[in-house]
Amino acid sequence: MKRVLRGRAAILPLIALAACSGGDKSAAADSTSSSGPQATSSAATGTGSVSGARIAVAHAGPPGEWQMPAGDYASSRYSELASITPQNAASLHVAWAFSTGVLRGHEGQPLVVGNTMYVVTPYPNVAYAIDLAQTGQPLKWKFRPENSQQAIGRACCDVVNRGAAYADGKIFYNLLDGHTIAVDASTGNQVWRAKMGDLSRGETITMAPIVVKGKVIVGSSGGEMGVRGWIAALDANTGKEVWRAYNIGPDKDVKVGPKFKTFYAHDRGKDLGATSWPGDTWKTGGGAVWGWLSYDPALNLIYHGTSNPGPWNENQRTGDNKWTASILARDADTGEMVWALQVTPHDMWDYDAVNENILVDLPIKGQTRKVLVHFDRNGFAYTIDRATGEILLAEPFVPMNWSTGIDMATGRPKVVETKKTAQDKNVKDICPSLEGGKNQQPAAFSPQTGLFYVPTNNLCMDFQARAVTYIAGTPFIGGNAPEKGGPGGYRGEFIAWDATTGKKIWGIKEPYPVWGGALATAGGVVFYGTLDGWFKAVDARNGKVLWQFKVGSGVVGNPVTYTGPDGKQYVAIYAGIGGDMGLLIAGDVAANLPYDVRERGTTLPDIARWTSWGGELFVFSL
Amino acid sequence: MPRCLPQHLLILLMSISCSSQRSHETAGAAGDTSSRRTGTTSAAGADSATSNYFVAGDSLRFIEHTEILPAGFPLQIKPLPIKNLYEGDKGAIATGAKLYVGYNCLDCHGADGSGAMGPSFQDGRWHFGGSPGDVFESIYEGRPDGMPAWGGRISNDQIWMLTAYVRSLSSKDLSTENFTGKTVERTGH
Repeated sequence: MKRVLRGRAAILPLIALAACSGGDKSAAADSTSSSGPQATSSAATGTGSVSGARIAVAHAGPPGEWQMPAGDYASSRYSELASITPQNAASLHVAWAFSTGVLRGHEGQPLVVGNTMYVVTPYPNVAYAIDLAQTGQPLKWKFRPENSQQAIGRACCDVVNRGAAYADGKIFYNLLDGHTIAVDASTGNQVWRAKMGDLSRGETITMAPIVVKGKVIVGSSGGEMGVRGWIAALDANTGKEVWRAYNIGPDKDVKVGPKFKTFYAHDRGKDLGATSWPGDTWKTGGGAVWGWLSYDPALNLIYHGTSNPGPWNENQRTGDNKWTASILARDADTGEMVWALQVTPHDMWDYDAVNENILVDLPIKGQTRKVLVHFDRNGFAYTIDRATGEILLAEPFVPMNWSTGIDMATGRPKVVETKKTAQDKNVKDICPSLEGGKNQQPAAFSPQTGLFYVPTNNLCMDFQARAVTYIAGTPFIGGNAPEKGGPGGYRGEFIAWDATTGKKIWGIKEPYPVWGGALATAGGVVFYGTLDGWFKAVDARNGKVLWQFKVGSGVVGNPVTYTGPDGKQYVAIYAGIGGDMGLLIAGDVAANLPYDVRERGTTLPDIARWTSWGGELFVFSL
Repeated sequence: MPRCLPQHLLILLMSISCSSQRSHETAGAAGDTSSRRTGTTSAAGADSATSNYFVAGDSLRFIEHTEILPAGFPLQIKPLPIKNLYEGDKGAIATGAKLYVGYNCLDCHGADGSGAMGPSFQDGRWHFGGSPGDVFESIYEGRPDGMPAWGGRISNDQIWMLTAYVRSLSSKDLSTENFTGKTVERTGH
C-alpha cells in the first residue's frame, strides 16, 4: 500500500527531469521497483550539458531512493531529483529532525528504501528504521546489536560508522568491534552476524559495505594498530565468507595471480606484498580498507584503497611497502587482484589512499575514456584508466609541498628531499598534513556540469618519527604530527574540479577542514556541510551559496536526497561532529564528557565556540 | 629482531627488578623503600598487624570487600590509604615517561597526556578515579573502553612508575566555558 503511494509520488520529479534534460530516462522510470541495486552499466545517467561525461553505473533503485552508501556503484553521489534548483533553493527549510541518541562523529549517510529511512549510528551502532509515510516519522523498529565496548579504545579516530547498504530486503552494516551483520529491513531482526576482525589485535570496522551480486563486501580498519589489512566478501543470505584477500603479504594471500596485469612494470613481480618489506614486518604493516568501495559491473571489478603502512616511522619498514597507500582493483567474484596502483610508495606521511574512487566516463584529449577519479590524501587528484590502472592525469588539488609532481612514466610521485620524514628527526611544515588534502569525506560528480565537487582540507604538519614496538591491541604508530592551518589563512575549501584537465573551476573557502561529503543533483544544486555546523546549498555551475542553515552540531556526514511519500524532494544530512578531525574537540570527549566544549587544540582554533557534540538527522525540503 | 625495541627500553627492562611476587603484600611505613626495591615481603610482614595500607612495589593491590560482610558485623568505615612511594620521585617519573613511550601509551593518550584515542591526563578529570591506587588499577586491570590490562604483562613496579608519571601530568581543571584561555597543542595523531 505504502509502496504504491511511494512509487506514484516518485514519478513527478522524473517528468520534470526528463523535460529539462532530454536524456533517456527509461531505465530510471521503473520507480516502483526497489529490489536491490541495478547492476547494469548500460543505463547512462545524466546526459547533460557536458558531452561525453557520464556516470559509469546507474543509480541503485528508483531515483527517489538512496539504497547504497554513495547512491550508486560508481560512488557518484549524484541524484536525478531536480525539484530543488538554484532559483528556489533559498526557500529550503527544516521538514523534520531526529536525534540518534548517540554522540560522537556521525560520518556516513542514511538510506531510503521505499517509504523507510534507515539510520546507523556511531558506536554502539544502533540501527533505526524510520517510517516516512506517517506524520511525525515514527520508528518502525530499532536494533541495538551486541558490540564490544573494548572497541571504543581500539578505534584510532573516533568510533564512527560510514553507513549501511541495502539489498534484497536486508540492511547490511559493520560493527566497530569487527562484526558484519545483516538485519531484516522490515522487522529489524538480525538475520546473521559474522565475526570478521580480531579486536584484540586492533581490528575494528568503520566502513560502509556494498552488495555485489549477492555478496557483501567489507574491509578492515586499524592502520594505526599494526593490523594486516584485508577485504572480504560474505554471502548476503548466510553471512558465510566467500573470499578474503589481504592487502599485504605473499601473492597467495594478496590474491595476485594470472589475472594480475597492472600497468606499471615495476609493480609486476612475485610476492611484492611481502618482499617490499624488511623481514616479516608486513605482518603488522597496516594497509587497511576503511574507506569507500566502488564497483564496475562491465569489468566486474571492485575498487578500493588501502591505508598507510604501519608504523608511521618509515625506518622500521624500508622498501615500497606494497600494497599500502594503494588503489586496488579486484575481481568481484574471487577477490583476485587485477591491477594495483601504489599512489604513495613507502608512505612516510600517513597518507592513506582509502578515499573514494569515482567511476565515470570522461572526454579526455578528444577520446571518451573509462576512468576512475580519486582525490588522494597525498594531495593529488588522479584520473586513472579504470581497466588498467594507468594514470592519465594527476594534479595537486590542494596546497602541497612534499612532491613536485607525478612521474608519468612510472606513476610514482617525485618526492622533495627536505620533506622526507625520518626517525628521531622533526621535519617541519609538510603539506598536506596527515589528514590529507581530502580525507574520508566523499566527493560527488555531476554529469550535467562534468565537474567533481570535492570537500578538502588545507592543513600542514610537522612530523616527528620515533622507534616503536609492536604490542598487540595498542597503537603501532611511532610518530607525532602536530597540525596547523595551511597557506592562505583558511583550513578547508569546497571545490569544483575538472578531472579532464586537472583544474579547479571554483572554490568556497571555509575556516575549518570540510569534513562532510558532497551531494550533486540534477536540479543544479550541490550540498555539503561544514565542521562548524553549516549545511549549504550551492550553485553547481559557479559555487554561489544559495542557502545555508546552522544545524545542531558540526557536519562530518554526507547528504542524500530522496522523494518523500508526498512527492516532494527531501535532502537529509547528519549533524554530529567527530571523526579524526572532530576528535580534536573529542580528544577530551573521548572521555565520555559530551558536555565538555573546551577548545582542544590549535588545529581548529575556536571550533568549540561554534559547535559541540550532537547526533541528529536533519531533513530539508522546499 | 626485525622490529627494533628502543635501546633505552631494553636497558630499562634489564635494570628493573621484575619480581613475580603475587602475595597481598602489606608493607611497612611509608618511606620504607628497602622492601620495594627488593620486592620481598620480609619487612612488610612484621608491620601487618598495625598497618593496612599498601605501597608501591611488585605486588597487587589489596581490596577489602566490606559490602559483603554479614549484617551486624562491625564495619571499619575508614578508607584504606593507598600510597605510591614513587609519587613525586623525579627519577621514577622520568622512567615512567620512558615506559609511557615504550609501551605505546603515548599514541593513545597523546604526548604528555594531551589526549587522543584515549582520554587526556592533563585536564584534571579522571573517569575511573585519579588517586594513585585508582590509576594503578586502571593500568593493571584495564578499562572497558579499550584500555588494555597490563597486569601480569609488565611488572607492578613499572605500573607504579607509570602511575607516578601520569599523575604528574595533571593540571587543575580548566573552565568548560573558557574559549580564550590556555589551549593545548594537539599532539599524537
